[in-house]
Amino acid sequence: MDSQQEILDRLAEGVREMDEELAVQASYEALENKIDALTAINQGLVVGMNEAGFLYEQEEYFVPELLLCSDAMYAGLDVLSPHIQRNTAESKQKVVIGVVEGDTHDIGKNLVKLMLEVADFEIYDLGRDVPAVDFISKVKEVGADIVCLSTLMSTTMDRMADVIELLKKEGLREQVLVMIGGGPISQAFANRIGADAYSENAIGAVKDAKRLLSEKRVAI
Amino acid sequence: MYTAKDRLIKALKGEIVDRPPCICPGGMMNMVTTDVMQQVGSMWPEAHRNPREMARLALGVHNLTGIENLGVPFCMTVEAEAMGAKIVLGSLENEPRVIEYPLLKLEDWPRLSEIRLEGGRSAVLAEAVGILTTQNPDMPVIVNLTGPVSLASSLIEPMSFFKAMGKQPEIVHEILSFITDNLIVFGRSLLNAGAQIINIADPSGTGEILGPHRFREFALPYINLILADLEGSYQASMVHICGRLSSIFAEINQLKTKAISIDSTTSITKLKAALDNKIIVGNVSTLLLQNGQPDRVKAVALNCLQKGVAVLSPACGISTATPLANLQAMVSAVHDFDYLNREVLCFD
Repeated sequence: MDSQQEILDRLAEGVREMDEELAVQASYEALENKIDALTAINQGLVVGMNEAGFLYEQEEYFVPELLLCSDAMYAGLDVLSPHIQRNTAESKQKVVIGVVEGDTHDIGKNLVKLMLEVADFEIYDLGRDVPAVDFISKVKEVGADIVCLSTLMSTTMDRMADVIELLKKEGLREQVLVMIGGGPISQAFANRIGADAYSENAIGAVKDAKRLLSEKRVAI
Repeated sequence: MYTAKDRLIKALKGEIVDRPPCICPGGMMNMVTTDVMQQVGSMWPEAHRNPREMARLALGVHNLTGIENLGVPFCMTVEAEAMGAKIVLGSLENEPRVIEYPLLKLEDWPRLSEIRLEGGRSAVLAEAVGILTTQNPDMPVIVNLTGPVSLASSLIEPMSFFKAMGKQPEIVHEILSFITDNLIVFGRSLLNAGAQIINIADPSGTGEILGPHRFREFALPYINLILADLEGSYQASMVHICGRLSSIFAEINQLKTKAISIDSTTSITKLKAALDNKIIVGNVSTLLLQNGQPDRVKAVALNCLQKGVAVLSPACGISTATPLANLQAMVSAVHDFDYLNREVLCFD
């Protein structure tokens, strides 16, 4: 019988190596060996996904690899999730995310969503081609901590400013952090429209989200 | 004295000209602004489906800003629509976009229809090219093609398509071959309508997204197939590549075009050092074009020229909110630059 650590390593390996079968098989092994499902997820699958994220940052992995890793992770999650002992008292930080109106390119948004999920944020995904007003109503509805805006097209960048303006108008700007990203976006653009952060990629977005929230806590 | 057409064609081929031209190609690299639309009296979204309006708008950009080319279309959805994607034409400010993919599963690709040239916006585009070339014999007309990976990801959900590159590469190659054949047919129809220059932009198939290995496998060969197959039908070609290029310098050298257009994340100096036998088109920041002051725009454009772009252009599609004064300032840079003191671009 394998030790717990060996099984956790296989879970991570299945995700990192884009090996869906291994991730699923190791998930069943974890259950058979009475490893707590949440432990198997956080110390197995999530570790693998973070390793994949690191390889992405190192430019050893690119978008196709990251997507295949996420498939392996979700395949493992499908096995393990039903066995999680729910802790209802725990409240996660809430993120509303979407591609701004006029643009339907959502790969980048999906990667950010994925890595934020892995980092234990609660995600409300509005999809793509999302009107500014929809971001605002979702932020209100769920009491979001962060709103993430994405676009690939230089012609739709201004829709990000629209969302920020509308947040201000609704008196919500102080409550919610705004993070932006996408092909044509830059730090200069973020500064100009008054976003709290520009994230270059999905891994950066997780770091920025954590940093902004801890800064905000200190400020309060 | 060069005509704008001669100058751009020669510059894109790497030949020495009196001065670099300043262009906005069109297609992914949008050049239409709301100011132009209003002054010309030809508006989005109508102009996307009416050849005369489309031609007037393209010509209006030249007349009002001094930009030295005519270019169509103003979006990346013509090919996708002609192959079965459902699109919406957008608004005065927003470009047309794909809202429904015709393919749900990759395996179903043989059901994809061949590109429709008659009727629809393919015909609109060809007719607009015809109007532009007939009425403006001295102006270069650029037709913009959506690159194969980007077109594929307008026909199939992009996440499944990218994943298939790892899991089912054979099917991905089959789809890309089919799409490339159709792009060749489409491109030829536009060149036959009179356009002289072809620009291919593949924003979903970049080195930054795919990585060098998959760029080499899935993007480069198909772009080269289009360029090779249409060779002889165009007088000059260019390829626009978005994002950081540092990981694919070797692959860019293998593109079968002389002219490489780049966005503002890539340094002209580094790229020049890494490429042999290519000329660079670029790369005035579109953010600056939208929000900067004209003198600053001009300074940045002059800097691009100083660093050695052979053709000056915005780094990407410009925002429809870009002021005319800034586009005029960019163009003024090619007229005022001191060419005698610039390093020589290309000897061959």
